[in-house]
Amino acid sequence: MFDSLKKKLQNIRTKFASNIEEAAEVEVEPQQTSGTAEAAPPLARPEPPAALEERERPTLINRVKVFVREREILIREKDIEEPLAELEMVLLENDVALPVTDEIISRMRADLVGRHRGLGASVDDLVVSTLRSALCGVLGEGLDLLRYVQEHERPVKILFTGVNGTGKTTTVAKVGHYLQKNGFSVVIGAGDTFRAGAIEQIVTHADRLGIRVVHHQPGADPSAVLFDAVQYAKAHNIDVVLADTAGRFHNRANLMNQLEKIRRVMKPDLVVYVDEAVAGNDAVIRADEFNRTVGTDAVVLTKADMDPRGGAAISIAHTVGKPILFLGTGQGYDDIMPFEPRAMVDELLGGGD
Amino acid sequence: MLDTLGNSLKDAVKKLSGKTVIDRAAVDELVRDLQRALLSADVNVRLVMQLSQSIKKRALEEEPPKGMGVRVHVLRIVYQELVRLMGRTGEVSLEPQTILMAGLQGSGKTTTTAKLARYFQRKGLRVAVICADTFRPGAYDQLKTLCDRISVPCFGDPAESDALAIVREGLPRFRKQYEVIIIDTQGRHALEENLIQEIIQINEIAHPDHRWLVIDAALGQQASEQARRFHDAIGIDGVIVTKMDGTAKGGGALSAVAETRSGIVFIGSGETIEDLERFDPDGFISRLLGMGDLKALVERAEEAVSTDEIDVNAMLKGKFTLRDMYKQLEALNRMGPLRQIMSMLPLGGMQIPDEAYDITSTKMQRYRVIMDSMTPSELDDPSIIGSARVQRIARGAGVTPEDVRELIKYYKIMQRALKGMRGMDGGKFNMQRMMKKFGGPGR
Repeated sequence: MFDSLKKKLQNIRTKFASNIEEAAEVEVEPQQTSGTAEAAPPLARPEPPAALEERERPTLINRVKVFVREREILIREKDIEEPLAELEMVLLENDVALPVTDEIISRMRADLVGRHRGLGASVDDLVVSTLRSALCGVLGEGLDLLRYVQEHERPVKILFTGVNGTGKTTTVAKVGHYLQKNGFSVVIGAGDTFRAGAIEQIVTHADRLGIRVVHHQPGADPSAVLFDAVQYAKAHNIDVVLADTAGRFHNRANLMNQLEKIRRVMKPDLVVYVDEAVAGNDAVIRADEFNRTVGTDAVVLTKADMDPRGGAAISIAHTVGKPILFLGTGQGYDDIMPFEPRAMVDELLGGGD
Repeated sequence: MLDTLGNSLKDAVKKLSGKTVIDRAAVDELVRDLQRALLSADVNVRLVMQLSQSIKKRALEEEPPKGMGVRVHVLRIVYQELVRLMGRTGEVSLEPQTILMAGLQGSGKTTTTAKLARYFQRKGLRVAVICADTFRPGAYDQLKTLCDRISVPCFGDPAESDALAIVREGLPRFRKQYEVIIIDTQGRHALEENLIQEIIQINEIAHPDHRWLVIDAALGQQASEQARRFHDAIGIDGVIVTKMDGTAKGGGALSAVAETRSGIVFIGSGETIEDLERFDPDGFISRLLGMGDLKALVERAEEAVSTDEIDVNAMLKGKFTLRDMYKQLEALNRMGPLRQIMSMLPLGGMQIPDEAYDITSTKMQRYRVIMDSMTPSELDDPSIIGSARVQRIARGAGVTPEDVRELIKYYKIMQRALKGMRGMDGGKFNMQRMMKKFGGPGR
């Protein structure tokens, strides 16, 4: 998973490291001329990495001072410019949207510039930990659906939203299967009454999985269908209602209003936004629009098996600031995996510390 | 976000105007903004880098043609390079043919298949559709429902799991009776080896005349890779971009075009069966960059350079006569609505009063007729037109005196607008250029 991004990020890592090393070697000269390095009074103890706010400006004087006093080097913007530019390219090539890329880069820059590094300390660790915190900061925490269902009053109502063709219906089937496997009873509301064949699609899936579907005729009011699904769940003590909806574009006011109405009528506990891992920059725009009109509590990323670059995950998570629930990783009902941001970041950066 | 990008690009272009020599920094800035615009539109990163390199190189090395301003020169290069990137427009012949649809899951193949059926049907061809998607539940129902609405026969069998069998059976059935046969296939991506094998086999059985790849406008950097593998498998000869009615800009399609060395044939732009358009490269470029119609702008600018110019300076000094306006209107007539032209010029913050736009083409025509009834001295100095002259002009032109007064009022608005602009800081040079454009050919 996310192989291409992973490989690239690891290259970048070494790049950062070597650039900072080089900067350190240049610094060796002033140390010998001043000759007072050993006798430097311990005026300022080496800063603990936590207290980064009080960072010095990496001017030459400061750099020499720090180096002489503490046998550390101060990282200058110049030292990391090239690897940062390269990192930017890597992120862009991996579908991290432009504004999100900008933010990660500036976060990295802010974190690294002016930072002290002990001569002995590994640059690699420094870079990795910075990159990790930048990525973790963007990806946020995951969400454990099973625990969520356990902790909430039944039936837990989950509404699936998203633009056309991202895989909402398939995801509903997969999530239904996942919940059922874990011992919860599920009913599906066939809220996509617009697309031809959508009801047949969800009914076929549900039949195969042995899940009950509440559906009306094509063209019916989706709010009514989903309301019925909720009523059905209440009457039959079903744990979870999964509400499928028609794909819609975020720039269609009437369709977004319809979704808003659905939300009012069925009062979902979770609004899950479904998008595809292969989406590019538009992922950010539409995630934002959906979040603003109907809200988003969690995200499912589908088609993550298409040699995905993981960028959409980063972009969307950053835009809506909501956890990613699952990754869809194939065409089978089992091809869904709970998303763990830390695990993903560890994998991207090569197996953690 | 789209707007800010378009604007920053416009600003960058604006900085180039008024320059007489190419300014490296300004070109750098333009290229950087262009890069950002293209990257935001999901154009492949490598393509963007190549493109910006060649734009930069050409902008700095090529001499602007005589009489062409720096800004127009650079814009022209940008436009030419973008067009090169865009590839040719895919051919669509209205002959009997078989078309094989390919693409990723959820890219919109089935909907597009129905739209295509409708397109060829409207062109008077007999169309039939084969549903070779045996995997996705409801796929056949979906296609059948859509085809039934337009009375196009759809062959398929939801109970059959072998797509090849369906193609084998469906093709001979339709071949004699129908001219255009479109084969819809299951969504697949390049890493699903068995599915790629399947489409290779379908391709061998069907011998389609076209193999079109359907690309979601939102598809990101992955587009290149996917397109390349599809191309290796079956030889893609056309790309259809779907979901262009959203906010996605379809840069992924460019990557696909570059990989397959084909062209974009159609654009899907809505949910109804009629929402399929032939590809228009210029509209596509505008959308990619989030700015007005670049080609039209370049053409207009070239045209303006090549024609005799009216006395812009005199006009800016306030000597704007009816004669000048006549020429303007004549030029406008060829160019299209004023507002459209204004929106094509990266004028930045310059505001043109709304009344100035408020002139329809019929009105413009009438104005010209009215002016044809004026004497040369009236055209040169409209202030001599009193009520007696208004009466005479109205009679001569076959209009009411009110129409003549309206024309004079319009003339005054334009005159005031020009004076106002002249006063604007730094706007002067722009204004001259703009006037050149409106001037059209001289006498």
